[in-house]
Amino acid sequence: MNPFWSMSTSSVRKRPEAEEKTLTGELRTSPPRASAKKQLPSIPKNAVPITKPASPAPSSQSTNGTHASYGPFYLEYSLLAEFTLVVKQKLPGVYVQPSYRSALSKFKSNVTNLKKQKQKILPLKQTFSFAVWFGVIFIRHGLYQDGVFKFTVYIPDNYPDGDCPRLVFDLPVFHPLVDPMSGELDVKRAFAKWRRNHNHIWQVLMYARRVFYKIDTTSPLNPEAAVLYEKDIQLFKSKVVDSVKLCSSHLFDQPKVEDPYAIVFSPWNPAIHDEAREKMLTQKKKPEDQHCKSMHVSGLSWVKPGSVQPFSKEEKTMPT
Amino acid sequence: MMSTGTSISKNRQAVSLQGVDPETCMIVFRTHWAQVLKILEKHDPLKNTQAKYGAIPPDEASTVQNYVEHMLFLMIEEQAKDASMGPILEFVVSENIMEKLFLWSLRREFTDETKIEQLKMYEMLVTQSHQPLLHHKPILKPLMMLLSSCSGTATPAVEAELVVLLNQLCSIIAKDPSILELFFHTSEDQGAANFLIFSLLIPFIHREGRVGQQARDALLFIMSLSAENNVVANHIAENTYFCPVLATGLSGLYSSLPTKLEEKGDEWHCLLKDDWLLSPALVQFMNSLEFCNAVIQVAHPLIRNQLVNYIYNGFLVPVMAPALHKVTVEEVMTTTAYLDLFLRSVSEPALLKIFLRFILLHRHENVHILDTLTSRINTPFQLCVVSLALFRTLIGLHCEDVMLQLVLRYLIPCNHMMLSQRLAVKERDCYSVSAAKLLALTPVCCSTGITLTLESQEKAYILWTKAAQTKDSCRGTSESTCIVECGRAVDISYLQYLWEAQEAILQCLKDCKVWSAFYDGENPDPDTFIQTLAEENSKDVEHPMFHLQQRTPSMCSSSQITPFSEKMQLELEWDDSYDTGISAGSDVSSPHPYDDQGSTEMQLPAEPPKHIQEMKKNAIMLIKGSYIEESDFQDDVMVYRLCAQKDAQDDDNSEKKTLNVARKHRVESQTVNNGPLANSQLEMDLDEHSKRNSSLTQGITKEQTNQKMIAVDPQPDLELKPAPQDADRNLNIRLLSTDGEDFIAQYDKIIKELDPNSASLEEQKLGTPGPVSPAEEEEDFENFSADTPSAESMSSPFGPKEDFFPKHAARSQSAPFTGPFISVVLSKLENMLENSLHVNLLLIGIITQLASYPQPLLRSFLLNTNMVFQPSVRSLYQVLASVKNKIEHFASIEKDFPGLLLQAQQYLLFRVDTSDAAEELLTKGNIQPDSSAGKGRSLSEASPAILQPFLGHKGKKSLALPSLPVHVRNAVLAAALFPEFLKELAALAQEHSILCYKILGDFEDYY
Repeated sequence: MNPFWSMSTSSVRKRPEAEEKTLTGELRTSPPRASAKKQLPSIPKNAVPITKPASPAPSSQSTNGTHASYGPFYLEYSLLAEFTLVVKQKLPGVYVQPSYRSALSKFKSNVTNLKKQKQKILPLKQTFSFAVWFGVIFIRHGLYQDGVFKFTVYIPDNYPDGDCPRLVFDLPVFHPLVDPMSGELDVKRAFAKWRRNHNHIWQVLMYARRVFYKIDTTSPLNPEAAVLYEKDIQLFKSKVVDSVKLCSSHLFDQPKVEDPYAIVFSPWNPAIHDEAREKMLTQKKKPEDQHCKSMHVSGLSWVKPGSVQPFSKEEKTMPT
Repeated sequence: MMSTGTSISKNRQAVSLQGVDPETCMIVFRTHWAQVLKILEKHDPLKNTQAKYGAIPPDEASTVQNYVEHMLFLMIEEQAKDASMGPILEFVVSENIMEKLFLWSLRREFTDETKIEQLKMYEMLVTQSHQPLLHHKPILKPLMMLLSSCSGTATPAVEAELVVLLNQLCSIIAKDPSILELFFHTSEDQGAANFLIFSLLIPFIHREGRVGQQARDALLFIMSLSAENNVVANHIAENTYFCPVLATGLSGLYSSLPTKLEEKGDEWHCLLKDDWLLSPALVQFMNSLEFCNAVIQVAHPLIRNQLVNYIYNGFLVPVMAPALHKVTVEEVMTTTAYLDLFLRSVSEPALLKIFLRFILLHRHENVHILDTLTSRINTPFQLCVVSLALFRTLIGLHCEDVMLQLVLRYLIPCNHMMLSQRLAVKERDCYSVSAAKLLALTPVCCSTGITLTLESQEKAYILWTKAAQTKDSCRGTSESTCIVECGRAVDISYLQYLWEAQEAILQCLKDCKVWSAFYDGENPDPDTFIQTLAEENSKDVEHPMFHLQQRTPSMCSSSQITPFSEKMQLELEWDDSYDTGISAGSDVSSPHPYDDQGSTEMQLPAEPPKHIQEMKKNAIMLIKGSYIEESDFQDDVMVYRLCAQKDAQDDDNSEKKTLNVARKHRVESQTVNNGPLANSQLEMDLDEHSKRNSSLTQGITKEQTNQKMIAVDPQPDLELKPAPQDADRNLNIRLLSTDGEDFIAQYDKIIKELDPNSASLEEQKLGTPGPVSPAEEEEDFENFSADTPSAESMSSPFGPKEDFFPKHAARSQSAPFTGPFISVVLSKLENMLENSLHVNLLLIGIITQLASYPQPLLRSFLLNTNMVFQPSVRSLYQVLASVKNKIEHFASIEKDFPGLLLQAQQYLLFRVDTSDAAEELLTKGNIQPDSSAGKGRSLSEASPAILQPFLGHKGKKSLALPSLPVHVRNAVLAAALFPEFLKELAALAQEHSILCYKILGDFEDYY
């Protein structure tokens, strides 16, 4: 049904691992999908979209020495922490990528040496009021099976004390809870009030995934979809299939938002993708090498596991 | 034969045998040999009864020599076909020519010159010949005879030549291990010690200069060979005195190190390569240490273990331990700096392990070396700086054992926090709350200065970038222009801190992967911790391995006297074995009356084989020279005492007092030291100890002083009950168990009583670092510091415990305790304004290093500002808050504070600027590639390593806040450092919040 495609992002600098990992998840899950349609492919354990949490971009700036000036740092790290939580959750079929211009780095386009970036003038609204995450969700069974929906998460600047993040699909998916005009998902109904420490962005993503498996029609943003789902499930299904097809046909479109970290899909190109794929499939052997290496000089311990005495580890008995 | 080697090489240049018919060569060779043989037989007593020893006419000798030169030349040039011998070589072998020639040279006068010629001849043969010669016994055998004839007394010239030849032979063996067998067998035939080559090299191990270096290189060839060859390894470990010589030789070399280092200025805190290269004695020692390191790296485990044990028992315990407890501050400081240098230089884990074991577990005069070192942080002398540098090295190792003993064991029971907080240990700070709180401690008065005005801000920025550029060169100048465009004030430095924090934490995370536990408040389990500890202790009694550590009760009793009795024993052994001769064979059978005594105290963990003890004896004989020096070194107490007394007279009273204390316990040790007297002393000790043991349950030894404190903690209700007797008894136990400290404390007290001046002097001394209006300071001080060391604890600079530990010990019965190290570092930090700049830099370096550790227990204690601790526990946050208040107070009374601050900031930036080269230097001086030294640094963290006096001196002084009173200068510099320190901590807190999940195992994916 689908072309053998792959996705990539147009990331320019830093976090190349992120892209690879994101790629891993999909590459490994997509082929079995064709054969065993009814099953939810299990998430390969080693293909988790582990991402180097966007390291503090060494080049950016903050405001002056007063304490408020560290605000952007706090926001950036809050978002990074959220992101690490997302990574940890291993949500099946959901992949996100913080935008290049998040809290701290929204100044970056001016500041850094990426001259090309400077020329592109970005809509103020997108760069200065929100931190942006790009995402894509793969639906693996149910009514929306084979759906690949790209979306964008907008996180308010006063996070975590502000409103709940917004999640907008790039193309309005035919769904009772998705606004047919803007593509925005009704997140508010799940998170009426955003509570710090209790609510996390991964919950939003999980919610976004769930709505495609368990359809709720109360107070819909798309009344047509809601009514059809209740009254004429066949028509609803065919509309959904159309919507899924529409999304798939636009898969290779350029991302709406100009950002080096926006998720971009491209047709499978063996020259580019085969090597990366190979790397991922053989990836799991690495830890052992790593172990050997770490046995070298760095990392010292002679404490026996379970003991609290220094030098309690027994020496290997020596041949006499 | 007189100048065979040289003349042959001359000939070779003139004549080339290219294209000459091999048969012709053969014929020439045979005729030459026939001529030579005629002369040889004429003088052979067996063949010619008229031949007389030594009566060889010179003309005949020179004839032989000429012929031989030509013959050797022909032999070297002969090209072998396939694997078979060339005809000349075959002839040489079948006629046993080499042996006959050797006998001939013996028959003539066997002078040094003859030896040198022969040695040179063989060196040329083995290195230049086109075919392998050493496989042939008729060649090998005379070679071995020559070597063994050179083994005795030899002049430097012969030694030099001998070592060159041995070195060549070793390198040949390393390339072709099959020859090794032959060497073994040949030596057997000789009836001499096996593996002659090796034995011959041993005396040169510690030699200085080229000879020593060549010998060590040669030995390393054999060592790496031993890794794969059990026979060689066994032979070296069991039949040679290689390891003992190597280890005890360190002691000998150490004794010739300067006991005082020349004045380096008060910024000096550790020995860098530039320093020690200036001292020949130190260079020699470092060469030997480096060699030990190399041997341990390449040698067979058998040799490695033996060597490591000898270094522990033959160098660290008998030499380093007493040296760390010398009489004068200078000596102790020097030793500490040496120890720090050794730790930084050693890279092999096995070797590092015994150094660390020595520091962490060895007890000298009943006090752990670690505790002694810790207590020295609180001294007002330069010793404090050197000790801090040592701790920075230790913490930078990222070694679990070090961190466990230093900090974590006190945190594991989680007594330092409120019970409800235990769950919060693992919590992460998602919203940078802690970072915000830390940054909020920045004193208002410090936000002025460099970061405020646009001009200076830009300047500051440029300076910062310069420091940063080495690490991240992709940042260009466009940045700074942008910043100016933006018109914003910039805290570029914070980004740098974040970057460095990430580097530091990741490095630490990587290193801590091998740790045995997470230290997250659950593993090890805080509730069973004490039990585990107790169980392990009781187990240790039977554990043979721990004999080495002197951990068991029986060991404890002797630990005080071990070094001395051991030495005594060594001396006795020496006396006893003096007439047994040096040959290994005869030694094995010689009786050894001191075996029993020896094996309990100083021998290898496993019951050492007899021959090992014999070997040790040999070793002592062998390095007799150096060992005598060494014993002088130890017996010199009298001399030191005299010096000390003289110093005391010269110096001021406070100094004298110090010396008194030290002298007192010197006297004590001296009694032990003096031969027969030691026995009674020993018995006394044993008695005392057994009493003590009975009073302690579960055989917890006094060594567990600190652990015991914890052990008492979990039953606070028990103590709260009105049971004064109980408490008293506890206290008694405590006093008994810390009697070492107690006894010093008593001396202190007595001396104090005798000297009415001392009290006032103390206060004065406390003030000297920076008496910033003491009266006002006092208030702050009292408010915040429950456990700030009072004046008394400063009084005895290196009489370790007198106040410090007993005080904490007493406290520990009612209050939780985060360990002596944390307390002393935090209390020192609290005095930041009085500390000199380099003390502060080291403190900051240590704390940031500690804060880089990913273990939740440590992280939550240092960086989680929301944690609620027990009231008696002082957290880093509280201490920082106190410093903040002090700074603000200081700013309010100092007239031109903003101006001074600006000056201080500029001065610090200037130092960072000049630091890049210095950093490079430190890394170079470090054998260890990724020790704490070489990483990215910024103002505060970088500076300690960077701000070395040796480079920085030029021009730095001129900028250094001229004409300020010391206390104002210190305070202003501290005020300038403080906000940077906060940023560093905040950066670490932020990075932890996003990196800590990596502990859980997804870690590999990062790299």
